Amino acid sequence: MNQDAWLTALTDELRRHGVDAGVTRHVVAEAASHLSDSGEPADSAFGAPSAYARAVVDSVGRARRPAGEVRLRATDIYKRYGRRPVLSGVELTVRAGQVAAIVGANGSGKSTLLRICAGLVSPDRGTVEVHGALGYCPQDGGTSDFLLPDEHFVLVGAGRGLGRDVARADGRGRAAALDWDAGTARPARQLSGGTRQKLNLVMAELGDPDVMLLDEPYQGFDRGSYVDFWERVWSWRDAGKAIVVVTHLLDRLDRVDLVVEL
Amino acid sequence: MDGRHGQWLRGVLDLCVLALLARRESYGYEIAQALDAAGLGRIQGGTLYPILLRLQRTGLVVAGWREGDAGPARKYYRLTPEGAEALRRSAGEWDGFADAVGRIFREVVPR
Repeated sequence: MNQDAWLTALTDELRRHGVDAGVTRHVVAEAASHLSDSGEPADSAFGAPSAYARAVVDSVGRARRPAGEVRLRATDIYKRYGRRPVLSGVELTVRAGQVAAIVGANGSGKSTLLRICAGLVSPDRGTVEVHGALGYCPQDGGTSDFLLPDEHFVLVGAGRGLGRDVARADGRGRAAALDWDAGTARPARQLSGGTRQKLNLVMAELGDPDVMLLDEPYQGFDRGSYVDFWERVWSWRDAGKAIVVVTHLLDRLDRVDLVVEL
Repeated sequence: MDGRHGQWLRGVLDLCVLALLARRESYGYEIAQALDAAGLGRIQGGTLYPILLRLQRTGLVVAGWREGDAGPARKYYRLTPEGAEALRRSAGEWDGFADAVGRIFREVVPR
């Protein structure tokens, strides 16, 4: 990649990450000045534009908008399975532009709480309000063995008012952002566990719902896809979505807005 | 910057940059050359500039653009009083750390 193409790609990447236009100008001009002084190729001095953009984003921090209106409110949630109480009086309020993490040991009711928020399980007591369209990504299952990824997109898109072609293009585009070529993929039962999770994630975000409920959606992802996943979470937040992530990995908790420990 | 040398460098590179800026204000490429001349090896732009951005964000340095006599405009970085104080504190801690490591090594590895 020649220098101008590299600088253009860097500009695009910074914009994609929501970096302020003024900061972007400074960063790109400084890189250009360094390249002119050192005479090095851009790729060897700074690495790939996408990687350098991520390093820049980590260094300057993200511009945060104040949280908006309430998108999800779970009040006084109780649930027991048989005699075993799983959830006792759990509260969770997530506003537009916030990320909430649900953490806790295995069996502590993380997935149950998320399924209650999604309306898939009824609580024994308590209420859930959702304001806006909802996307849900289960921990596993959720795909249909004999359908192609494209057919999943069309099916889910239909439920969200998207036409066939729009749904297919939208799904493939979102898959590409997770480093997955969904257009040439085989039926779901022939996909690896990690790729099936990508399919689940793409279905959850199809049609840009206002509330995203994600149950450890990165299981089976490689390191790169795991990083991409969290980048997407931050960009959804910047776009004003309310996001709830069930997670047992603590390395991102310093960046979320709310933590519910079960 | 691979392996153990890279790990050590990651822990102190921001302090070395502050220390170079304590001598005089400077710009990225010149800082990279000074680090190389000081024996730390070649630091890539992709490593150095994010550090400068972080130092700027945390108020330890300030920056401004200036036209060069020849060549491109350059972004010059200058140490702030907060940066000087952070450097003084960390340099003291580093001495203590390096001394402790050195003492352990010297017990078993003759020099």
